[in-house]
Amino acid sequence: MQSAVLKGTQSGYEVILNESSSLEQINIDLKNLLNRLSESNLKKSEDIKLNIRIGNRLFSQEQKNTIMENINSYHGLSVGHFMSNVLTKEDAEAKFKQKYIEPMSKTIRNGQEVNIDGDVLFFGNVHEGGKLFASGNIYNMGNIKGIVQAGYPDNEDKLIIGNLHNAQQVRVGEQYDIVSDNPINNKESTVVYVNDLHLLSYGKINELKEINPKFFNRIGGII
Amino acid sequence: MGKAIVITSGKGGVGKTTSSANIGIALAMMGKRVCLIDLDIGLRNLDVVLGLDNRVMYDIVDVADGRAKLVQALVKDKRFDDLLYLLPAAQNTDKNAVNQEQVKDIVDELKPDFDYVFIDCPAGIEQGFINAVSGADGAIVVTTPEISAVRDADRVIGLLEQHPLKESPNLIINRIRTSLMQDDSYMDIDEITTHLGINLLGVILDDDKVISTSNIGKSIVMDPDNPTAQGYRNVARRLEGETVPLMNINNSVKKEGFWNKLTHLFSHKK
Repeated sequence: MQSAVLKGTQSGYEVILNESSSLEQINIDLKNLLNRLSESNLKKSEDIKLNIRIGNRLFSQEQKNTIMENINSYHGLSVGHFMSNVLTKEDAEAKFKQKYIEPMSKTIRNGQEVNIDGDVLFFGNVHEGGKLFASGNIYNMGNIKGIVQAGYPDNEDKLIIGNLHNAQQVRVGEQYDIVSDNPINNKESTVVYVNDLHLLSYGKINELKEINPKFFNRIGGII
Repeated sequence: MGKAIVITSGKGGVGKTTSSANIGIALAMMGKRVCLIDLDIGLRNLDVVLGLDNRVMYDIVDVADGRAKLVQALVKDKRFDDLLYLLPAAQNTDKNAVNQEQVKDIVDELKPDFDYVFIDCPAGIEQGFINAVSGADGAIVVTTPEISAVRDADRVIGLLEQHPLKESPNLIINRIRTSLMQDDSYMDIDEITTHLGINLLGVILDDDKVISTSNIGKSIVMDPDNPTAQGYRNVARRLEGETVPLMNINNSVKKEGFWNKLTHLFSHKK
């Protein structure tokens, strides 16, 4: 069986590399394949992008480079991207983190600072002078009397949702508000977000659709 | 083997030293062997509050540096038959004169001989605080019903939680003024306790006598009828594991009864 096979799909040409073949064998077979391809009646003016499917394995950047060099040496051919069925642990964790919401029940006292990578569902207490920073959104069901920041340090797409009228400061990305200067309604949960003018704004939960349609869509709301 | 308890607050002037002395004495009166360590190096005054300042020969820095043996530096309080001792702080050095290991060694050396070793912590959260905490098994955080004291207590509890001691910290709310209890802006005990989220060990009423007695080297806790003294004695009993109900601090606040209200109403109409 050939270790490199060319296949045409709806999205263009794909080179499928056999996952059990050695890299040397692949490079030899790839050369043969490309030689035949360049001899065939392809229009020479047409630039062809080849996507490389590598199956259930991972190539290092070096290994990818040898394949890319091999392909690039033929006129009119270039590499689109490598597609693998597997992920490194690091990438997998990062992907997991993106979707994960960290539940937290903790008392953050005066002078303490808690940093969270991703979203947080908060059930604890932030005392006056305590700081809760999350790189993602903050969903608060606890008691916040200190400082909270979503999108830490500078991501302004993030939201803070929950009861925030006791907080000292609310911050989203680089925007902040001193709550006592700008009191928050204490009857309902508030959505704190950064609007198109890069100003911190406050809305109600049932306005989420207008505030951040992307987010609303992602969490299952129908626009 | 005794227990070492650090008495701390973060903020100064809330009554750490007074509380150390009074709780120590209360336990000594219950027949426990107690040693008080003053770690407020440079600004010692636990010896003064106990009326032992004229008996100090060596201090904790002398012990740490090996100039004196621990037993030589201990000052015995003669009022309590071999039950209450003080290890005084030095006055001519700063708080960096001893380090954590030295304090820990001294506390560990004292624990087998005493039921309780109380460590009077200096104000602040710097080296003095770190030293005081390093040898302790438990902590008593003293605060007053003032926002600044409660904030500092919160900070200190946070620090204690980051490096947990064997036992979780306890709270004493000191200097409660009953005359202000009905004022809405006055922080009440439940509010402070729920906010700080640690076990309440006792509440101590404010009393002018606390100052007048300590000025003459006596301690309020020895007064049998005083409510402040009662507060300290309750703390001591709770430390001993007794269940003592919280003192009713509203006792002295007279509430207007139904009949009084009625008579007021009629007297207005006249």
